[in-house]
Amino acid sequence: MAESKKMYLNMGPHHPATHGVLRIELELEGETIVNATPRIGYLHRGIEKIAENRNYQQVIPLTDRLDYASASANNMGYCVTVEKLMGIEVPKRAQYLRVIMAELARIMGHHLWIGTHALDIGAMSVVFYAFRDREMIMNINEEISGYRLTPTFFRIGGVAHDATPKFIEMVRDFVKWFPKGLGGYHKLLTENKIWTTRTMDIGTISAEEAVNYGLTGPSLRGSGVAYDLRKAFPYSSYDDFDFQIPVGDKGDVYDRYLVRMEEFSQSLKIIDQAIENLPEGPVTVDDPWISNPDLEEVQKDISALIRRFMIHVKGPVAPEAEVYHAVEGAKGELGFYLVGDGSEHPYRLKIRSPCFYLASALPRLMIGHMVADAIAIIGSIDVVLGEIDR
Amino acid sequence: MVRLTIDGSEVEVPEGTTILKAAEAAGIRIPTLCYHKRLPPIESCNMCIVEIEGETEPVNSCAAPVSEGLVVTTNSKALHEQRTANLKKILKHHPLDCPICDRAGECELQDIVYELGIRDVPYEPRKIKRDDTYSTTLIRYWADRCILCRRCVTACQDLKQIGALSIEGEEENARIVVDPDKCKACGECLMVCPTGALTENLSRYKGRPWLVKKVQTTCSYCGCGCQLELNVLDNRVIGVTTNVDAGVNQGSLCVKGRFGYEFIGDENRLKKPLIKENGVFREASWDEALDLVAEKFKAIRDEHGPNAIAGLTSAKCTNEENFLFQKFMRAVIGTNNVDHCARL
Repeated sequence: MAESKKMYLNMGPHHPATHGVLRIELELEGETIVNATPRIGYLHRGIEKIAENRNYQQVIPLTDRLDYASASANNMGYCVTVEKLMGIEVPKRAQYLRVIMAELARIMGHHLWIGTHALDIGAMSVVFYAFRDREMIMNINEEISGYRLTPTFFRIGGVAHDATPKFIEMVRDFVKWFPKGLGGYHKLLTENKIWTTRTMDIGTISAEEAVNYGLTGPSLRGSGVAYDLRKAFPYSSYDDFDFQIPVGDKGDVYDRYLVRMEEFSQSLKIIDQAIENLPEGPVTVDDPWISNPDLEEVQKDISALIRRFMIHVKGPVAPEAEVYHAVEGAKGELGFYLVGDGSEHPYRLKIRSPCFYLASALPRLMIGHMVADAIAIIGSIDVVLGEIDR
Repeated sequence: MVRLTIDGSEVEVPEGTTILKAAEAAGIRIPTLCYHKRLPPIESCNMCIVEIEGETEPVNSCAAPVSEGLVVTTNSKALHEQRTANLKKILKHHPLDCPICDRAGECELQDIVYELGIRDVPYEPRKIKRDDTYSTTLIRYWADRCILCRRCVTACQDLKQIGALSIEGEEENARIVVDPDKCKACGECLMVCPTGALTENLSRYKGRPWLVKKVQTTCSYCGCGCQLELNVLDNRVIGVTTNVDAGVNQGSLCVKGRFGYEFIGDENRLKKPLIKENGVFREASWDEALDLVAEKFKAIRDEHGPNAIAGLTSAKCTNEENFLFQKFMRAVIGTNNVDHCARL
């Protein structure tokens, strides 16, 4: 008589398909998963604790390293929260530049997603095309800030400096080229029989369950819930732009794939509108305690030199208050809970990371499927461990 | 007791208190630059101006005494504009030295410029030459950074009763002049200077204030017990500062306390015990050295008596080490022949 015996399979943390150092303990009966326990913490760097010993400006590079696949989107979340705490109004031009950087970051994050998701399932060609186009965005990042992956272009009260003409030209070139690149990914995957067989009806989650698990972002929208923070609670001039929220139907891996593919186009639409309607004006708030004097001024004016020194060493002071603000990161609702204590350091910075909730829903998504489907599911929720572990 | 109103809140203070101190009692902060806790009011910067109801001109709150029923405003648009104008008069001659100035990070001029949010002060260099000759090589004087607050002159005269400093030159090109015969290199002027005009020459460029750890301790050089802060960076002492609130000295030190710290990390200090053999020192282990010393001391004490041995200890040892030393001499060797270099 055949006796069913459970096998324990450890997936990760060193694993090519876990998108970072995610470890999942699988309990298998044959090939079917009966239980899955995600283990996290292999990338914990103590970002929230480090932030308590840095002034508000110095925390910005730390936030870049959260969801490192789409770094500028994290900057947006943090800076908007600090500005809410301190009551700072960012000038229009800076807001538009921020939107461009954040949407480019979203596209970058989705490029990484499509490349690695397809690669895990077996479609190796996609990653090369995706990274070819991702390289264009990395060049734009390098032009504006010198860094390819983690630009840290944002500052409290605006952005670091104005966009150069070359930056605007590169963004326009990208906007012109990318629909062709996107069409290429569609041609490779969307109606591909192998792709659809491997992704349809896999990892299905209903809208109600998805909301209960705290899922947000494309994973939630794939189940049919039209919730996007850019439309629900607009920030940084997002209500100036005309774009739509793609929403799925069944909530399976294929639907989440389609949602993200459409988000590529919608983000591109936002970037196009922003770069064509870029308003004139300053790129940082006109406040002597916050706006960093530029290096030209600093060489002639002692008060600019002193202010630049003090802003870097000390920086603006937050009132004794607490605030929560969330933005739509590439993976979902990225929230920052910031407690100020009257000094130039945050008393507490708590980061609500969307991928944490996505990873916690993995058991629900995986149980009942086979090991090969587990790979497809992990790819479809698109976790980045930097954000989960902080 | 005198009752007065400051910014709408009533406060009661003893007669003779200045408006600045009265505001402090009410929890209100007035920006100051030349004012120092331990010095009499100098009134050279005009930052602490306040408006008094019934008076046309604002007064310096660091010097003006309170009177019954006074109504004071410490902050208004007009006051802010005047403070800004007064500060700009000093600032426009201040060289753009922050990146290379030792004081940057704990500079009172930087603090007040940032606090008031000053902008638009293009640099107008003065004719004054930057020369660092001072009465002692331990202190360096950057004449072009000097804001002529006269804190150093007042401190040398009123705190130390020496009066070695004076001002020479007219208005904008005035500078501090030191009488080298009177100067004792005690560093009082260095302590009160609000900017980087006077910097310590021993620890120059060694560390930024926010990187340095300040450890409060007692000076070991004599029996006064002055409190000082050793500035530690990378496990090495790179300077001495003082806290004006701490101890009997209230921030003042003498030349030994302020500048005599270099021996702590000196590379000539022994790292291993040395034993002399045939007129030449050779390295030994602690066990070997201590055994040799114990054996020899015992031999001398047994043969010639405990008073044949005397002990001389040093101010460069900590108080705890000195206590152990005299305990050793008295209880172990059995002699009262103990002395310390401070008695010389």
